[in-house]
Amino acid sequence: MQLDRYPLKAEESLMVFEFISNGPKGQIPKLVKFSETNLKDVYNLAFGDKDLTTGDLNDLAISNNGDSEKVLATVVSTVYAFYDRYPNSYIYATGSTKARTRLYRIGITKYLNEITKEYYVYGLRNSEWEIFEKEIEYEAFLAKRKNSNFII
Amino acid sequence: MNIEELNKRKTPVVIIDDSLDKYKDLPLFQEKVDKANEMLRTVGLPKANKKKTRHA
Repeated sequence: MQLDRYPLKAEESLMVFEFISNGPKGQIPKLVKFSETNLKDVYNLAFGDKDLTTGDLNDLAISNNGDSEKVLATVVSTVYAFYDRYPNSYIYATGSTKARTRLYRIGITKYLNEITKEYYVYGLRNSEWEIFEKEIEYEAFLAKRKNSNFII
Repeated sequence: MNIEELNKRKTPVVIIDDSLDKYKDLPLFQEKVDKANEMLRTVGLPKANKKKTRHA
């Protein structure tokens, strides 16, 4: 699997990434951030549009720039970069809306065979983590690289 | 490694841009982080998770 994706910039620690979505609506800067959570080695993944005039970020924006698959592939590529730096971490992610969480689920489902070669992927359902399966609605997702210091 | 090979790698080429430093310590997407913390507090991590043990 090698999807088309946008070039990435990041700050030194590889916890903040930026890329530019390019489509019919023009150029839309996107920011991806891996934030520490209260659990050690667990990071929250979030991304959204950057407003060039205010510098504010909006994770509810619907850009309709005709490149959602490329945007998602680019965000996934930041996960690969992040894990190269922080191989023993967990990444937690959920959509800012139910529709967006569903979109993420569809994205994971589409490339599940490829993803699970390198990562454990879990879905949160009924307040429990379970191994991600296709056709099941989840509230959130958790990923862990397989060749880390843990076995699951 | 040529450009084509680089583009085929899953791990992307990342250009370091110091202007992004300012976002590192800002509470971006804080609402999502708070929700994640609440979820992780109540649910924790997958239960089968355990540390690898060494055998002599």
